[in-house]
Amino acid sequence: MSKELSDAIVGMDEDGAMRLVRSMLDAGADPAEVLEEAKAAMTVLGDKFEREEVFIPELIMGGEIMKGIAAELKPRIKGEAAVADRGTIVLGTVAGDIHDIGKDVVVLMLDVNGYDVHDLGIDVPIEQFVAAIKELKPQVVGLSGLLTLAFDSMKATIAGIADAGLRDQVKIMIGGSPVDEQVCTYTGADGWGRDAAAALRLAAEWTGSAS
Amino acid sequence: MTPTPEELYAQREQRFNDVVALKKPDRVPIMPLYVHNFPTLIKGISNKDAGYDHETRWQSTKEATLRFGWNFAPTNDVLASDFFAAYGNKQMMWAGEEGGLADDAPFQWVEDEYVKADELAEFVADPNGFTFNKILPRMGSRLEGLGQIPLPPLYWFSNSYYLQVLGNMLGIPPLKAALQAMLDIAEAQENTNAANGKYLQEMKDLGYPPTWGAALMPAFDVVSDTFRSLRGSTLDMYRQPDTLLQAIDVMQDATIGLLHAAYAVTGIPRQFIPMHKGAGGFMSDEQFARFYWPTFKALIEASVDAGITPMPLFEGDYTPRLEFLAELPPGKVAAHFDRIDRKKFKEVCGDVLCFWGNVPSSLLVTGTPQQVKDDVKELVDLFGDTGLILDGPGGIPDQAKPENVEALVEAVEEFGVL
Repeated sequence: MSKELSDAIVGMDEDGAMRLVRSMLDAGADPAEVLEEAKAAMTVLGDKFEREEVFIPELIMGGEIMKGIAAELKPRIKGEAAVADRGTIVLGTVAGDIHDIGKDVVVLMLDVNGYDVHDLGIDVPIEQFVAAIKELKPQVVGLSGLLTLAFDSMKATIAGIADAGLRDQVKIMIGGSPVDEQVCTYTGADGWGRDAAAALRLAAEWTGSAS
Repeated sequence: MTPTPEELYAQREQRFNDVVALKKPDRVPIMPLYVHNFPTLIKGISNKDAGYDHETRWQSTKEATLRFGWNFAPTNDVLASDFFAAYGNKQMMWAGEEGGLADDAPFQWVEDEYVKADELAEFVADPNGFTFNKILPRMGSRLEGLGQIPLPPLYWFSNSYYLQVLGNMLGIPPLKAALQAMLDIAEAQENTNAANGKYLQEMKDLGYPPTWGAALMPAFDVVSDTFRSLRGSTLDMYRQPDTLLQAIDVMQDATIGLLHAAYAVTGIPRQFIPMHKGAGGFMSDEQFARFYWPTFKALIEASVDAGITPMPLFEGDYTPRLEFLAELPPGKVAAHFDRIDRKKFKEVCGDVLCFWGNVPSSLLVTGTPQQVKDDVKELVDLFGDTGLILDGPGGIPDQAKPENVEALVEAVEEFGVL
């Protein structure tokens, strides 16, 4: 992989990264490969985030740089783009709660790390989670929430998934600032976390896909 | 002899002041920094009804204060739903709003880019005009008319001839509608103030000081939460850091102005400072030192200089920022914590800041009274002698079990009388 491109993305050099992408294309590089290289830089950022060397702004800015690179490359990529293959994840903020900052960062990081992520949005009713599980057959379901009201919504959502006979087919993670082991037990989830790094660890473990 | 309400009032205020000054109080006070819907939910009142019925909301807060042994009369921080409705608030969603949240949901912010990236410099150049013409119309659907008129210098209207210009301008239908919305805002505020004033007077008569007078956000949070959103302010840090800093400076002037104005109106020598985007994980120490800390620290110092005890709520995990917090004026700040490493805090900030809050939501909502008591025991052992106030991570959570909130009182009786 191009160390220069990776360094530019990880170093938050937006203009430099775009210049490198264009010069790589001019030199005849395969756009699909350039895109994969850029994505690999995002996993480097994810690792740095986990080691607390970078923080949310760098994940957001990295995502933004990726967006620019993808917009440049995608029209040039012929045929089907590489399909995310580490597993399918359905994720959303539970009913009654409209907070999305944490969820969005988790979605971004899972996406760039090769998962097929389906973001159901905010204030998501139980039935919508159940329908998405039936349709998409994810290995992992993520429930997000910031309010204490979300504890009961998470519990009810997990019960709803069980009532639909789907509980054995998925691993369920809950996330958000007030979530801890106690809340995890209360809701009946399989795991919990407070940030994107924790979500990545759980997803890798549950899908059996090393990062 | 039974103490008079005046004596109780002075005693409770002294207890709080002692804790802030890092002196050992007579007993550990229990003080919700604020309450939202806990007092009404335990009476079976929906969040929708609580948002519109100010009298019931404040009276429920009074009942909860007496029932759960709180040291001060807490501020009920549920913002009035009729106030939101008066201008068609687009920055919030609430129960009872058309197409809004379910009846049992609390009001919630809708973070968005209300100020676009290329407009930030425009705000800095003309904060008044930009706020009037761009921000207010985007904040409320009923204020959209304000976007349609030029904001002339007031001396345009400096004699009776010229005043006709004003008459014509005010007659534009969208502006007339916006002016009507302004009157509705005033009326809604009067309604909630009346119920609030009654509550505060009744609590004073019972010997309870009010918790705080007004809420002031640090300048960075105003810009990030309500102008640019987390994404927007993040991109600004990288793409236009100087303009971002200028906008923060403009908001800092406004914040300090509001600090003094609010104190002049309420006379309450305590102010709440909710903090959002400076928490651990939200930025690096370098970014914190550049974009967040200077204006926050200046706000704390301005508050202390004005004789107002600042009550910052360090929302999120502030363990990574303890070295910064140790720079705050010792014994002057009522520091409230959501999540933090208690032992590290004691080590780094124990002789600078008191310790308020931090009993986890998970315990208060899903735990048992014994778990709550065990947690309080740990807090009293660590901070009882050097300044401790009991509370949840940010007030009493809406869904807290009453028996767990009662457990705080029992815990104080057991090991919090010092």
